[in-house]
Amino acid sequence: MNTAQLLNGVALGSLLMVLSSGLAMIYGLRGVANFAHGALYMSGAYIAYSVSDRVSFWAALVVVPLALAVLGVVLELVFFRPLQHRSHIELGLITFGLALMAERIVVLIWGERTLRVTPPEFLQGTASFLGVDYPAYRLAIIVIALLIAAALVLWLRYTDVGLHIRASSQDIETAAIMGIDVDRVSLIVVAVGAALAGLAGALAAPYIALDPGMGNAYLITILIVVVVGGIGSIGGAMVAGMGLGIIQTVATVWSPSFAVIVPYLALTVVLLWRPTGLAGKRVS
Amino acid sequence: MNKRRLVAAVSVAALASTMAACGSASSNSGGDDGGDDAPIKIALIPPTSGALAQFGTDATQAWKTAVRLANEAGGVDGREVELIVKETDTDPATTLRAAREAVTQDGAQFIGAVMTSPENAALNAQLESLNAMSFNALGKDDALVGEQCSPYAVHVVQTSSMDINALAESISEMPGEKWAIQAVDYSTGHSAAETFKAAAEEAGKEIVLEQYAPLDTTDFGSYISKLKNSDADAVFAVEYGADGIAFVQQADQFNLDQQLDTVLGFNMVSEPLFETLGDTIVGYYNNVGYDVNADNELNKEFVEAYTEDHGSAPYYVPADNFLAAETLFAGIEEAGSTDPAEVSEALRGLTFDSIVGEVTVREDDMQVLRDSYLGKVAKGDGGLEFEIVANASADVTTPEADPACQL
Repeated sequence: MNTAQLLNGVALGSLLMVLSSGLAMIYGLRGVANFAHGALYMSGAYIAYSVSDRVSFWAALVVVPLALAVLGVVLELVFFRPLQHRSHIELGLITFGLALMAERIVVLIWGERTLRVTPPEFLQGTASFLGVDYPAYRLAIIVIALLIAAALVLWLRYTDVGLHIRASSQDIETAAIMGIDVDRVSLIVVAVGAALAGLAGALAAPYIALDPGMGNAYLITILIVVVVGGIGSIGGAMVAGMGLGIIQTVATVWSPSFAVIVPYLALTVVLLWRPTGLAGKRVS
Repeated sequence: MNKRRLVAAVSVAALASTMAACGSASSNSGGDDGGDDAPIKIALIPPTSGALAQFGTDATQAWKTAVRLANEAGGVDGREVELIVKETDTDPATTLRAAREAVTQDGAQFIGAVMTSPENAALNAQLESLNAMSFNALGKDDALVGEQCSPYAVHVVQTSSMDINALAESISEMPGEKWAIQAVDYSTGHSAAETFKAAAEEAGKEIVLEQYAPLDTTDFGSYISKLKNSDADAVFAVEYGADGIAFVQQADQFNLDQQLDTVLGFNMVSEPLFETLGDTIVGYYNNVGYDVNADNELNKEFVEAYTEDHGSAPYYVPADNFLAAETLFAGIEEAGSTDPAEVSEALRGLTFDSIVGEVTVREDDMQVLRDSYLGKVAKGDGGLEFEIVANASADVTTPEADPACQL
């Protein structure tokens, strides 16, 4: 087990961490299993491709979260809010349908071919880190993801909005009674969740080749991460995301065909041991 | 009472025989000559989703060009050719369903553009009962001309063995003594690795690492780290489509090329990927099944027609599918009929002129005997292109017909 493989795990884990924290927020507050989360990730990656093609990769890192936040607002206002009193399964199915549509729209705009995004000049090639020659871009992903995670945790813990979000995630009805503008909080949560998914996509673009199936590849994994981390707990999702990324990569080194089962195995084990997930506080 | 029962019995009998006649009529139209002027119906079942979708589109386009040229020249054996385009997701069950639909409902007698070896294997087993012929221009697994062969399945593309043997001829021409194998984890990946290992060891090379990644792997980090830690100075890579792109891109990010003298791709680096992969792949070797610059009349006509129809020059996928069409048409002309049984008989041992020169359909296993090449990616005037480094003819590359093939 060497440093490079460990770093591979941390890089994958970082991506899963950013991706799943967005989903955890949406799932925690709105109770919606957002099956369109993979599609949001994919859209972020494709938009990043177009923006970095025309402007620069850094511009993409700014434009994508904003664009996806707008998509998140649409998602909340058009689908989640009007249907919030319906069963969660119905909402889940709607997001699933949206995901299917998004995949076809992406193919219409960008085609079926696999696309490639080159990272900015100074992040190409390898850098020496902990005695190992490791791709500079993956190191950058790790750093950026950890910064985002820290920012997210600080925001939730130390701001008023963060307080409202945490309160609403715990018990939305009581929070409303206490005077929190639940609608506004939901809007912020879905927008931020979508922006995080898009940002993960933009970060992943130079790391992984872009193809219309890329959202599906990760969707199940991040749903598992959120459940394992504990429904309603964003910190739990982050830890689970990082952990699963490392475990899966290590498993790939040992046996690639077995590594594919790892997330499902983790899900089974955790649900049998702690049904609310690692950090879950309530059973929804 | 008796009269009523009689009337009832007669009506039931009439109804039953009418339905039986309808049923058998529709299955018959899939079977024999539906009349002298009936069009020749060819069903295409390409993948339309996933990593191989682009190849599916290109295969279909080649058939369309072939059919256009044939129809403009007055048809094949005097008949018009019609294409029925179905779709699949490369799951053999889906492809079989599409094939059955094409034969029983659309009246197709010939099938093309089926992509992967597992799909072709599943289809071959059903061809005789469907009374349809399949022209495989994409699935390279050796077993397709071995135990999975069928007199109704013509193997137009080179088998993995033929490709590897062509590479084996020239392994000594590529620098590198310690080879690592990175292959995709399904039939073609494994059989290619097997053959390569045998050939490399015979040429005195050492295999230091062998690893297989599941299809649709997006993160090759772990595999590349292992490659870097191994002693390898050359890599034989068998990764297709999006997997291949991800692998090349990530290998570049890990600076894997630095420690390697040779990267040999097996059906990994091809013309449509040149733009996406960019200069990273200059110097990469790859087997080349089709030489777009081949200097014969039929090829020049094909390249011109295809470029006119579709905006870009053809590469091996459309070329092999065009060759499949040429093979089918040659068989129909030779048989003077479109009955699959007669066309199959006519094709066995048939030699004809094609875009890749003179080829023969081997009568023992329905393999089309044709040349194979080794190419190196070089920077040309219009971008990247293949420089043909070596050429191996069919009698050198093609193994003896597999006795497991019982036609």
